[in-house]
Amino acid sequence: MTRSSLLVLAFALAFAVAILASARRHRTEERHTLAWLLVCAAIAALAIWRPAIDLLARAMGIYYAPSALFFLSLAAVLWIVFRLSLDVARQKEQLRTLAQEVAILTVEREPAATFEHERESA
Amino acid sequence: MGETRPLAVLLAYEEEAAIGRTVEELRRELPEAALLVVDDGSSDRTAAAARAAGARVARHPFNLGVAAAEATGLRYALRHGHPAVVRMDGDGQHDPKSARELLGAVERGAELAVGSRFLEREGFQSSAARRAGNALLARIVSSLCGQSVTDPTSGLRAFGGRAIPFFAERFPHDYPEPESLVWAHRAGLCVEEIPVQMRPRLAGRSSLTPWKSGYYMVKVTLALGLELARGRSRA
Ligand SMILES: Nc1nc2c(ncn2[C@@H]2O[C@H](COP(=O)(O)OP(=O)(O)OP(=O)(O)O)[C@@H](O)[C@H]2O)c(=O)[nH]1
Ligand SMILES: [Mg+2]
Repeated sequence: MTRSSLLVLAFALAFAVAILASARRHRTEERHTLAWLLVCAAIAALAIWRPAIDLLARAMGIYYAPSALFFLSLAAVLWIVFRLSLDVARQKEQLRTLAQEVAILTVEREPAATFEHERESA
Repeated sequence: MGETRPLAVLLAYEEEAAIGRTVEELRRELPEAALLVVDDGSSDRTAAAARAAGARVARHPFNLGVAAAEATGLRYALRHGHPAVVRMDGDGQHDPKSARELLGAVERGAELAVGSRFLEREGFQSSAARRAGNALLARIVSSLCGQSVTDPTSGLRAFGGRAIPFFAERFPHDYPEPESLVWAHRAGLCVEEIPVQMRPRLAGRSSLTPWKSGYYMVKVTLALGLELARGRSRA
């Protein structure tokens, strides 16, 4: 095995350990854990079985094999970032609803004095 | 519950200099309405000043924007059974008399009554640049609605009937006024424009800088473009 293969393999392994460590402390969701582990597995597989890259490039009709790799990894990263932005938007929505609810509930807990005051003037 | 008064919702963000007088004027000039100030996470003493002047205050724990603040007012009205809501600026630009006229329109059956500065071209008319922006938006919104709209950015508006639950539940992002008009039309709500006069703000600073206004135009035009696409795909 070449030095570069070992390097990539070590990276994939370290990444996988980091993912599992976070998962163990409940800091990731299962579906994310699974997705990231699959990414690690794919990286490791390419590191071990080098001809896969050439096969892949040929299948995609790409002459320069590393381009195929760049394309695939970029597409994967874009997809993940896009999904994350959807998540952020959803959470923002939920947070906003929660804040509105808090605002409304705290009005109701205010001293009745203000209410009386207002009725008098009405 | 059992609430029969309309609700006046004042939107306030960093308005400690003006909110007190605005609340006082409203209690004096519009005594038939209950009053709620929505303080949108101001860092100054807006909430305290509003309370001192005798208003109930709903305070967002952080800034959520005008659209969400309006929806908070509507949610509150829904929960307490107020039959009509008029939304006003916290800086004193909106005349209580105009608010009463809008509430009158709601009573006569309008579900969204919008106060327009440009139907009769009287009172405070804002800067030339903003009038031009407004005119452009008015044309886009009018064509999307198939009904003449002269003041799509007006924040002086009253809600009644189905419009209260409708806009309590959903609201456009950021700057809601032009988009919400299109939504209201699409939902088949009865929308009406009423001529009103506005005034310069009482005190404090405008939240709209030239930069923000420019961004506002681009953002709202994009939002309206999306609205157009949605309409097409539905048809
Ligand atoms: N809820 C909420 N209200 C805001 C926010 N920014 C401004 N407002 C309120 O919205 C109203 C209108 O804002 P202004 O800054 O006066 O804008 P304007 O009336 O269009 O502009 P001027 O004519 O220059 O006063 C005021 O009552 C503000 O307090 C915000 O981030 N959230
Ligand atoms: Mg103003």
